Amino acid sequence: MFDGIMLGLSTVLDWNNLLYVIIGCFVGTFIGMLPGLGPITAIALMIPITYSIGADSGMILMAGVYYGAIFGGSTSSILINAPGVAGTVASSFDGYPLAKQGHAGKALAIAAYSSFIGGTIGAILLMVAAPLLAKVSLSFQSPDYVVLMFLGLTAIAAFSNKGQFLKAMMMTVFGLMLATVGIDPSSGTERFTLGQADLLDGISFLLVAMATFALAEALINVTRPEKKDVKGINDSDTPQIGSTKLTKEEIKDIAPVIGRSSILGFIVGVLPGAGATIASFMAYATERNLAPKGLKEKFGKGSLRGLAAPESANNAACTGSFVPLLTLGIPGSGTTAIMLGALIAYGIQPGPMLMQENPSVFWAVIVSMYFGNIVLLILNLPLIPYFAKVLAMPKSVLTVMILFFSLIGVYLVSFNTFDLFMMVGFAIVALVLRLLAFPMAPLLLGFILGDMIERNFRRSMMISDGSLSFLWERPLTLSIFVISILVLLFPLKDFITQRRADKAALKVKSEHAS
Amino acid sequence: MLNRELLGPSLFLALFTLYAIIAWQIPLLPFEEYETVTSATLPKVYAAFGIIVCLLSIAATLLKPKEQPSDEQQTLEKSNVLRTVALLILMVLYSAMLEPIGFLLSTSAFLLIGFFVMGERRKAVLLLASIPVAVVFWFLMTQVLGIYLVPGNLWS
Repeated sequence: MFDGIMLGLSTVLDWNNLLYVIIGCFVGTFIGMLPGLGPITAIALMIPITYSIGADSGMILMAGVYYGAIFGGSTSSILINAPGVAGTVASSFDGYPLAKQGHAGKALAIAAYSSFIGGTIGAILLMVAAPLLAKVSLSFQSPDYVVLMFLGLTAIAAFSNKGQFLKAMMMTVFGLMLATVGIDPSSGTERFTLGQADLLDGISFLLVAMATFALAEALINVTRPEKKDVKGINDSDTPQIGSTKLTKEEIKDIAPVIGRSSILGFIVGVLPGAGATIASFMAYATERNLAPKGLKEKFGKGSLRGLAAPESANNAACTGSFVPLLTLGIPGSGTTAIMLGALIAYGIQPGPMLMQENPSVFWAVIVSMYFGNIVLLILNLPLIPYFAKVLAMPKSVLTVMILFFSLIGVYLVSFNTFDLFMMVGFAIVALVLRLLAFPMAPLLLGFILGDMIERNFRRSMMISDGSLSFLWERPLTLSIFVISILVLLFPLKDFITQRRADKAALKVKSEHAS
Repeated sequence: MLNRELLGPSLFLALFTLYAIIAWQIPLLPFEEYETVTSATLPKVYAAFGIIVCLLSIAATLLKPKEQPSDEQQTLEKSNVLRTVALLILMVLYSAMLEPIGFLLSTSAFLLIGFFVMGERRKAVLLLASIPVAVVFWFLMTQVLGIYLVPGNLWS
């Protein structure tokens, strides 16, 4: 491990890569601050740039954008109660009241310190957990991968918002279907190309990611503007920043909260499909339950604990989500799915062999997280008042710029206008689906994992002579398969409870009416 | 009329059925005939699974007790929808014109018209955020990074 850390350090300390960490954090913070735009959009917009700079630097840049965007999202949550990302919604519960009470500076400082500590604890845990899991996963075989990917797909659906399980499953299947377009790599058969030569190579991952996230996100903000959109924000809406200093008592009060929430956040982040949003809400709820009576009542009204908990948890969860990506090659969230796609585009196969075949990428990403967190703390905290001005950028300019960068980003990789037309088509489909409340991350996950599932499934079937017995022949495969089935059945319990509650509510209503 | 909750699963059901029809027509190569897993196997599995999920979703919606439509339900404003459609048309036009008239001209026009569609009327913003951005981007790509950008097939 020590050699690995040294290798990571030497890669990250290259001045080019250090610059990419700084640029990544800056750009991530900038985009993350814009209401409605999250880390997935930020990373999608950066992909065309990363294609020209090599795998190490590209991954470092994207990792920087990731936690920068989470940090930026906290800023808009606190200052204008408009979270840029779902993972920072819980931060607005107490962050915004604090800002309204004239403590915006203090709230932003707590967010920055909590994010820094959460991210750093997460990076330490990642450094320990990733190599261990990578060693274990070396014994994984094709059947294990099939069920593991199946688990990833079912988990992201199961952990989607309440009542969205079936929608998420439909999106997953849609993603898997899109992955089958083009020439089948095993047999060379043309599938679903509709006679189009441009589809023989399949649909580009970049195109799908850009269309479903960057383009659709920008267009949904035009179709259904948030109550507090960028256009509506002026200087009077943005509170005065004020002092960023914390007293000794305040530090003493939030320190254990940050420690607990960071560990909780990391564990939740490792689970496929869970991610920063669930981690931040869980940390918030846990701290509210743990708080003494007097402090419990302050939650939702400007509690420092209520802000520190989700902030440390969401950053630790972001780091945690790299564990399955780096060790198993299975993304646990939409954001890491995009990174997985980028790694594959570099010709790098993520998974247990990544640590051995591309140790510089593996360790550089982990080590860069320390630097990223330091950059966020040292550079972003003093710059917050200036970053806040970003919130006043005219929406008219911003939206069109995002559309332009998305289109030209895809064109600069393929130099094929057919891709642009297809991208607009995908954006229309994504927009309609977003309006119908379908989640996008499962689609991307299905699309990216589709090819790997098919390859491993074929290999497994070949090994087991065309029988599905590979699912129960090895205890490891069977265990993961059983967990996947349980995860798949998990939302059924919610559905039944909800149905009972709905029926009861209707009965009460009709009794009242009569 | 289909309600919002039924529209999505119904659209997917149609799409997945179409996918299934094509999946069952995937031509098998001679050596695939006796294989258990062919290039059509997983597409058929996906189609079948997708159709089951859609039917479950439709059934769940139909079984759900009917609720009074709430006032909070978000409605789309006509002007916003028109603006979105205009932006989509603009993107298609940009894609079509990029190679014939070149990067500089098409990008400047795309940005300028885009800002206008988004309601920007200040001449300074319209002009300064479009043409200079296109020129600076073109300069960075072609002169600094050495990436080729189409000058326009119509006049080159």
